[in-house]
Amino acid sequence: MKIIQVFDPALCCSTGVCGVDVDQQLVDFSADVDWAKQQGAQIERFNLAQQPMAFAERAVVKSFLERSGAEALPLILVDGEVALAGRYPSRAELSRWAGIVKPAIEIKPAGGCCGGSSCC
Amino acid sequence: MAAMKFLDQAPRFLFFTGKGGVGKTSIACATAIQLADAGRQVLLVSTDPASNVGQVFGTAIGNRITAIAAVSNLAALEIDPQAAAQAYRDRIVGPVRGMLPETVVAGIEEQLSGACTTEIAAFDEFTALLTDSALTSDYDHIVFDTAPTGHTIRLLQLPGAWSGFLETGKGDASCLGPLAGLEKQRAQYKAAVEALADTQRTRLMLVARAQQATLREVAHTHKELASIGLSQQYLIVNGILPDSEAENDPLAAAIHEREQAALNAVPAVLQQLPCDYVPLKPFNLVGLPALRQLLSATPAQAQASIDPAVELDEPGLPELIDGIAKNGHGLVMLMGKGGVGKTTLAAAIAVELARRGLLVHLTTSDPAAHLSETLNGTIGSLNVSRIDPHTETERYRQHILETKGAKLDAQGRALLEEDLRSPCTEEIAVFQAFSQVIREAGKKFVVMDTAPTGHTLLLLDATGAYHREINRQMGSSGLHYTTPLMRLQDPELTKVLIVTLAETTPVLEAANLQADLNRAGIKPWAWIINNSIAATSVTSPLLRQRAMNELREINAVANQHARRYAVVPLLRHEPVGVERLLALTGENSRHSES
Repeated sequence: MKIIQVFDPALCCSTGVCGVDVDQQLVDFSADVDWAKQQGAQIERFNLAQQPMAFAERAVVKSFLERSGAEALPLILVDGEVALAGRYPSRAELSRWAGIVKPAIEIKPAGGCCGGSSCC
Repeated sequence: MAAMKFLDQAPRFLFFTGKGGVGKTSIACATAIQLADAGRQVLLVSTDPASNVGQVFGTAIGNRITAIAAVSNLAALEIDPQAAAQAYRDRIVGPVRGMLPETVVAGIEEQLSGACTTEIAAFDEFTALLTDSALTSDYDHIVFDTAPTGHTIRLLQLPGAWSGFLETGKGDASCLGPLAGLEKQRAQYKAAVEALADTQRTRLMLVARAQQATLREVAHTHKELASIGLSQQYLIVNGILPDSEAENDPLAAAIHEREQAALNAVPAVLQQLPCDYVPLKPFNLVGLPALRQLLSATPAQAQASIDPAVELDEPGLPELIDGIAKNGHGLVMLMGKGGVGKTTLAAAIAVELARRGLLVHLTTSDPAAHLSETLNGTIGSLNVSRIDPHTETERYRQHILETKGAKLDAQGRALLEEDLRSPCTEEIAVFQAFSQVIREAGKKFVVMDTAPTGHTLLLLDATGAYHREINRQMGSSGLHYTTPLMRLQDPELTKVLIVTLAETTPVLEAANLQADLNRAGIKPWAWIINNSIAATSVTSPLLRQRAMNELREINAVANQHARRYAVVPLLRHEPVGVERLLALTGENSRHSES
């Protein structure tokens, strides 16, 4: 199974509560990661404020930071290669990378079109 | 001698908690001495940033267990939470310095500069003392002059906060994130939390003063810590003015009356606790004889020869207000720890500016709401609004839980809820509410009785930094954008006033606050030393003693900390209502009442 690595910006809370406004993407993504892990996906998250060494050690992440700065995070690697940068992946993308075959059945919130699914 | 209840059958761990300046460290020292004198082996652990524990015992102590020669059976250890946090930051940031871009490293350091980091780093230093180890096996009692907050303990108890975290060294984190850089294992934290919640092993002493606001705060701490298992709690009310002092001096009588009223109205939840009263002593709590007397119930005779009242010639509020009024408009923010009188001083400044015919909007977080009730509409150019911190925080939390937390599972939701209980959350929620009125400061005076810390402002300003950088790169001058932080950094627009008391710990806390603001590029404009006894002409020997002690602190503020400052006397009557507020700021307040 492929390993998904997520390099988060420096957040003092993974939920981003400490930010000026809670980032909905971040909250959704945390939930998606939990879900994908339960499906057997291998996902690692690194927080710039807590594990900066993980950023410095990986040439691809380090040069990304030098080129684009911390503002351009998050950065997502799949098996060591850049899969996505600047936004968090959707649940569908996570499933695809992780090779989760089981169809992701989602309970969408009433009236919402973007339940973190592939429609956005 | 009637012994203190909290010393009766003392368990292994004794914690003293309470806000800065209530005398936790003195009482912890006195407790340790008393237990050691009774033949027990005692370890005293101090985290007091103003620690004079070494001075008390005539030994340099520092961050290692040191036997105290002057008291048999006693050893002591000093933990500096700031140093612990710095060591932690160095551990995380040190290895990547020079490897990652400088701006990135600076950003990481700021993330790790909040109160949460300090708190967790200090707790980390505790854990070894709370769990069985060769280090502590020789001691019958370990006495701490502090206690972890409910927020920290709850985080440590949440399974969600730990999921795959320390075990693997990776995964996601919450406010607990700082633990990522700490070396201990989850099992050790778990054991430490269990020791805290074990009533056989742990007793918690809530230390307060006989003041309504302080007692309210203590009631809150009591409920919070009791709900997570620290149910073995005692209340200690420290520094009570004895009846005899009230006889010959009107100010002493007024203070005595106020204290007794507060003691008669102790919040119901605290009334169930065993309670000890420690009278104000006529001597400084320095040296062994003084500390040995602190917890004795027999009132010591006022022995010291008391110096005659000094005529304190310090600047007062009127001078400061002249400086504020000059611009005709602007933002005035009063900052400082709870209970130093920010709300009253904000009201006094607002009322005086309005009396001078200037347009003023006073916005307050005063929980009692009496300000908005008594002041609104009394002076034509004064407008008062109120933000209820509790309501604002609750609204913010509910909003986030309903919108952003809707899809989380039980564990994730529990973690989000705890993150939302962090002190930062209230700060952010209140500041968001306040920031609505900040923009009015371009045309009139906006006076606020609260403000977020520099740390929070820096985090909130991440967007501003980004905009500035773009602007710099484009070399453009036509762009107009301002973040709240940029407004606060502008000395033409904003004046930050730091409010403190003339006591060691409060002054130190205020200096830390100023350092934090400086980091955010905000230079406090002035300091106000509130409720000064030295600025009165009190004759009560006990109060004169305290007045003499204040002089050193006033001197430190004047010469080390403040660019300009004012000293406001302790008043016989709480300054409520327009007239009394004006008395605080009017020209005749130079000759202080009392």
